[in-house]
Amino acid sequence: MTAAGVHPRNEGAELAVDVEGYYRAYGPMVLRRCSRLLRNDQKAVDATQDVFVRLLRNERRLRSESPTSLLLKIATNVCLNVLRSERRRPEDPSDEALLEIAAADEPEPRSQARSALRRIFSREQESTRAIAVMHLVDGLTLEEVAGEVGLSVSGVRKRLRALSGRVAALEGVEP
Amino acid sequence: MTARPPVPDWWLERLAAGDLPPARAEEIRARLAAEPGGEERLAALARSNQDLLDRFPAAEAARRIRAQVDREERAERPAPRPALRWMLAAPVAAALAVALLVIRPPPSTSSIQDSPEITRAKGLTAVALRIHRQTDRGIERLTSGAGAHPRDRLQLSYASGGARHGVLLSIDGRGGVTLHLPREPGMAAALGAGEVLLPDAYELDDAPGFERFFFVYADAPFPVEKVLASARALAADPERSARAPLTLPPELSQVSVFLPKVSP
Repeated sequence: MTAAGVHPRNEGAELAVDVEGYYRAYGPMVLRRCSRLLRNDQKAVDATQDVFVRLLRNERRLRSESPTSLLLKIATNVCLNVLRSERRRPEDPSDEALLEIAAADEPEPRSQARSALRRIFSREQESTRAIAVMHLVDGLTLEEVAGEVGLSVSGVRKRLRALSGRVAALEGVEP
Repeated sequence: MTARPPVPDWWLERLAAGDLPPARAEEIRARLAAEPGGEERLAALARSNQDLLDRFPAAEAARRIRAQVDREERAERPAPRPALRWMLAAPVAAALAVALLVIRPPPSTSSIQDSPEITRAKGLTAVALRIHRQTDRGIERLTSGAGAHPRDRLQLSYASGGARHGVLLSIDGRGGVTLHLPREPGMAAALGAGEVLLPDAYELDDAPGFERFFFVYADAPFPVEKVLASARALAADPERSARAPLTLPPELSQVSVFLPKVSP
């Protein structure tokens, strides 16, 4: 099945994304996601643009992931980067959890070896901070998160436990 | 017995977009039916979709997205081998200030590697960011890819190409961000005409990996923080920080110079 707005040129070749069609189908969803995480409409608009830029530059991920799941995860990462770069005060408890996650150190190795692995495997590893948002902020169960990121439940638990500082102690991370 | 929590927005969005496997979609629909106001949440999403597309039309959004992709790809594309090189013999600032006025540089014979630096024409003059290093032999210009060392003393200059407002900053391999122009966050600096040398020299510290300098410019005033936030995000991303452009709104343009750090 071909996702809306995505047209494989030929087997094994690059994908060509109909940007306008894709935005029409999923842009509002991404805007809402960014707006919810950033709590700022203008920043959400900017972040949404970044999300689609990332999508276009990583079209190959569309082969193995559903577009909404992929876009929501990209949006999460983009927003975490925005939140990490600013130091705003939390507005409520769920916002506090989100900001803690954004500020947490990413425990995954960021090495050339990881980049090489990414090239080898079609499905990229989701960042641990994005996984933490899905579970602790969005309210997905560990099983649901595992399904969305292609890990086992124990793999998700292990990744969450590896998060540094207070985030690791938040409810739901314990084994 | 505790009530089941509301269906997460994550699933609601995926259901509304018609992007869930049938069995999963059925399960979420059943949960929504049992949730007070659940079906209204789904209907509200459809209304929100239309409202957001009215406010942010897909055609315009797509144009901006394509433009940003083009900008990023151009910024990552190796530029032609630098054709000019300056070798001056005098103290940094004073010598450069004079040199910028009177010296026409000779063709280069150096073997500086291809670089991601971009210099774009804007009107009749070119936008440029230039890095000059003081050495025992005098002053030399560093183009992208040229090695730099801890304690190198650098002087920065820019050519606005007719743009009226700008920010000059750098990021390093340790994730640090340094603002060079203006001196304090606020609004972008008003740019001068021709080649403008920043008044202060800059000494490289021992941050590993690289130093990258960015010149961000526009015709209209813009807040420095917008650029700083993007620079912080890029500097904090080790996989992109050495090569990716800053993520900026479409009205802002950028050029950059990449200097890999080498041991003395």
